[in-house]
Amino acid sequence: MNSLKKAAIITSLIDSMRLKGSWCGETHLQKATYFLQELLNVPLGFNFILYKHVPFSFDLRDELTALRANKMISIEPQALPYGPRINSTMISEKIQNNFPKTIKKYQKRIQFIADTLDAKGVLDLEKLATALYVTLQMGRKSSIEERIDEFRDLKPYFSSSEASSTFDVVDHMIEDSRKIVK
Amino acid sequence: MAKAFHEIRDSIHVFIRLSSDERKVLDSPPFQRLRHIHQLALTYLVYPGATHKRFDHSLGVIELAGRAYDVVTENINSEVKEMLPDISDPLKRVYWRSALRMAGLCHDLGHLPFSHAAEKELLPAGWSHEKLTADIIRSEMMQPIWDEMKLKPDDIVKLALGPKEATDLKFSRWETILSEIIVGDAFGVDRMDYLLRDSHHIGVPYGRFDHYRLIDTLRILPQAPPDKTGSPKELFLGVDAGGIHSAEALMLARYFMFSQVYFHPVRRIYDIHLKDFLKETLTEGMFPTDISQLLLITDNEETAKLFAAFRNPLEKGHLTARRIICRKHFRKLWERNPRDFEINPLAGDYIFKAAQARFGPDEFRYDLHIPEIGAPDFPVRLSDGQIVSSLSISKTLADLPVPVVDYVFCNPDILAEAKSWLKDNHDQIIQPKGEEEGDE
Repeated sequence: MNSLKKAAIITSLIDSMRLKGSWCGETHLQKATYFLQELLNVPLGFNFILYKHVPFSFDLRDELTALRANKMISIEPQALPYGPRINSTMISEKIQNNFPKTIKKYQKRIQFIADTLDAKGVLDLEKLATALYVTLQMGRKSSIEERIDEFRDLKPYFSSSEASSTFDVVDHMIEDSRKIVK
Repeated sequence: MAKAFHEIRDSIHVFIRLSSDERKVLDSPPFQRLRHIHQLALTYLVYPGATHKRFDHSLGVIELAGRAYDVVTENINSEVKEMLPDISDPLKRVYWRSALRMAGLCHDLGHLPFSHAAEKELLPAGWSHEKLTADIIRSEMMQPIWDEMKLKPDDIVKLALGPKEATDLKFSRWETILSEIIVGDAFGVDRMDYLLRDSHHIGVPYGRFDHYRLIDTLRILPQAPPDKTGSPKELFLGVDAGGIHSAEALMLARYFMFSQVYFHPVRRIYDIHLKDFLKETLTEGMFPTDISQLLLITDNEETAKLFAAFRNPLEKGHLTARRIICRKHFRKLWERNPRDFEINPLAGDYIFKAAQARFGPDEFRYDLHIPEIGAPDFPVRLSDGQIVSSLSISKTLADLPVPVVDYVFCNPDILAEAKSWLKDNHDQIIQPKGEEEGDE
């Protein structure tokens, strides 16, 4: 996928997330992009690794830098003490308009992510992304207990019941996503 | 009696002190090779003072890494201490200090001749100087030194490369934070040293900042709240409030050094000509990835080849060598500007391809590059103990632009004709094309 199409998809995701009330800082966008790529098979080509024990992509961070350099996103500082939010710009709107087929092709998937993650904060997103990562790594055939153990190995400060309910949500997301990605 | 510490004079840090064990790394052939690799490739053809080497820089990094380690491990609150049990174990503290200093010293061991100049195109896919650095640190050649120092090579690799590059290794929270001291985007001492050192040697003041104050205020801090729902329990390198202006100065230094020095168009085109020459003259157009072969090659061997090719018209790479040595480098035909960018963000690529089609593929070079630097968002601890995002208290940081290289270069022999052609056809060339069928 070329850089402008990737820009069109990422900025469209930002727009959809913000419309659903997401704070849309870098962490929120990292997790949403992880779901978009890994769960909904949008071929963005980012390499996600476990960094600070959750899925994170340095490639995506570099892509966001490129989007800032190209004035396709801007950083909106927030009142003390909070981290910044990310905005799309007039230029990104133009880029999206230049790629109507690409946007149309992935619009439902982008909307699914925005709807499902809605205004969730970083703690919830961290749990969900970690649960998806564990599920994709271990496979859904592994027992829920094994997945919880792995989850808590990565994130010991979440309880087993929190992990368990997060896997329920992620399993539902996987089922629902299959209806969109056929 | 043998000296316990060895002092080396340094143009930036005055003295760099090494233990006798550390001196053995310094004296090893892979490290001595760095005496012959320019920090900034052919930049000395533009800024004559830029003749410093990776050797000096690596010594600077060990010095700053040790200082930063001492500051962050001595100024730590109980909450963070609980999350990093290694800090409370005196033996582990000594071990990790030593590992971090070695990571600082060795972080550039795998550099190709001429450092970063076109590294990606001169190594096979999947290879980088970081991967070569890891191979050298883990090599049989270095193992006896690590054994004597009782250091695990993989620990040094982790801290020297960080999680982004050492993807084959699993990082603990502590190791992740320590690697940030070397390669961290905001406060990595690798970057601190090269900004200070490059600006000193080049003779531009932009790269200077108060690194003494900055390092003294470095802290391991919990993440500032990314939103109103709470903070993940993760740690980052940040600063006490007293260091925010020094941090701003670092980020401004980085911006100015990139935009004024590293992205200088003539410096960039020399990198491109050098890459062309190396592609023409290296076996299969690539550097070897076998470290025993790579360690035999420095700037000296390649510079000798460059002059040999210049003197003999029958040698491979003769014309490119002439361009470099006789300063017949390509000239800037176009650079990014707000007007063109607004019409088409890919204007440079369009102009490059149209110019190639009109005058021939070898008459132009295109250079588009954006540095891999994240937003300057890091935790800051206020005097009342509150942890806040740097961007919530510093407008300077929030407004800092990202530097970009976007140039089309042209053979000087046809520059006047190409300029005239571009003037006549510019608006039509840069018009964006619609999305193609099946292109999505």
